[in-house]
Order: sequence, then structure tokens, then C-alpha cells
Amino acid sequence: MTPNFAVVAVETPTFHMPRLWVPLFLLWIPVVLLSPIIFLVLAAVAIATRTTIWKLIVLCWGIITALPGTDVRVTADGAHVLVRVL
Amino acid sequence: MNENRRQILEMLSAGKITADEAERLIAAIESGPSTSVGEHSGAIPGTNGTAQVKTRAKYLRVLVEADEQSTGMKGPTSVNVRVPMQLLRAGVRLASLIPAQAHNQFDEALSRHGVPLTLSQIKPENLEELIDHLEDLTVDVDANDRGKTKVRVFCE
Repeated sequence: MTPNFAVVAVETPTFHMPRLWVPLFLLWIPVVLLSPIIFLVLAAVAIATRTTIWKLIVLCWGIITALPGTDVRVTADGAHVLVRVL
Repeated sequence: MNENRRQILEMLSAGKITADEAERLIAAIESGPSTSVGEHSGAIPGTNGTAQVKTRAKYLRVLVEADEQSTGMKGPTSVNVRVPMQLLRAGVRLASLIPAQAHNQFDEALSRHGVPLTLSQIKPENLEELIDHLEDLTVDVDANDRGKTKVRVFCE
């Protein structure tokens, strides 16, 4: 399943941001619009790495679909940052 | 503990089901959508450890905790990263994109940094084995040189 939302929260001693739900599924719109350019970039990478474009698409798709469940929490210098991909 | 798993174990301890039936039931709920994380191995009680339940770890967790002295920052510093194992698999597959002529340079650079890895020996068929063995990995580091730093890497 592709990532649909990302939850981002930033909290510092002077600033508190409410949890932000970033709708990642909306990224499909620019991806579709830019698909010819993305295809060209993938073709160039496929030629450079001497692999097939199909294999490259499978690899990229594997990374994108594996992203949900990623959770990063960092606390440093009194600030808290949370990024979670759903 | 998962509620379903608890019920199965209670039924097993009450003698309502056999160890084999319990193992099958647990395997069934693990393969279902309500699989819980955090329990990736263990023996069914009452079976003298013969029936081993092993689920696949879903995430790699990296925890780093450091105090003020070691980082020089105000307050304690902590990093808590959870990476899906599937993402690791996909990432390792990216190694297949590295051109063969770059393998030597890559191996040399890794060796210089104390990682004696031969990239050309990593084949797609070995990747699953590599990730599977990672599931048994637990690294605990306690450093007390300047301040106190604790690093934990484990699968869950």
C-alpha cells in the first residue's frame, strides 16, 4: 500500500505546532502530471546503471510501498520532532 | 499481548485444545491482518518449548539516548527510529543498481571504514536470508567516555 498520510509534529521550547496530517496521496496529482519527465529520468538512470526501466520501476515502487510504518522521533536541545508515515 | 493469543494460551492451559491446535491457531492469527508486533518468538507454554512460535519481525528499531555532556546540547537527546523491514528489503535491492565497475571502489571505501563487505557477493537470492538474519539482531551499546550514550538496535 502506498503512503497516504504523513504525521508531522514539531515542538520547541518557544513554539508548539499542532500535529500536521500531510495528505501524501495528493502527490499522485503532480506525479501523474510529471510522469513523462519522470519516465525520461528513469530511462536515463536505467541506461546509466545498465538495467531495464521495468526493474527500476519495480524497485522504486517497492520503496514507496514499504514506507508506511516508518516512524522517526527526535528530541534534541529541548525540541521534539515527530515524523510518521501512514 | 494480543487478546486472541491470550485466549488461545488460556485454552491451551485449560486443556481445551492441544499444543498442535494452539500452534495452528496462533499461526493463523499471525498471518491475519490483526498481527501484533513486538512478539517475534516464543514457546507455547505446556509444550516444554517443543512448539516454537516464530513470527517475522516487521520493524527495525534504532534507539539512541545521549545526555547533555556527550552532545553538548541543552537537555537529553534521543532518537527513536522505526523502519519497516520491507523498506530495508527494498533498500538492499537498490544495491543491484550499482554498476559492476563501481563495486570495487565501493568495496574499497567500505573496507577503509572498517566494513569488509564485498558488494558483488550480495545476490538477490541472498537478500532474503540477510534480512531474515537481521531479525535476530540486537545491538546494545553503552558508552561512558565523555557523557553517557546508549544505542539499541533491534527488530520487533
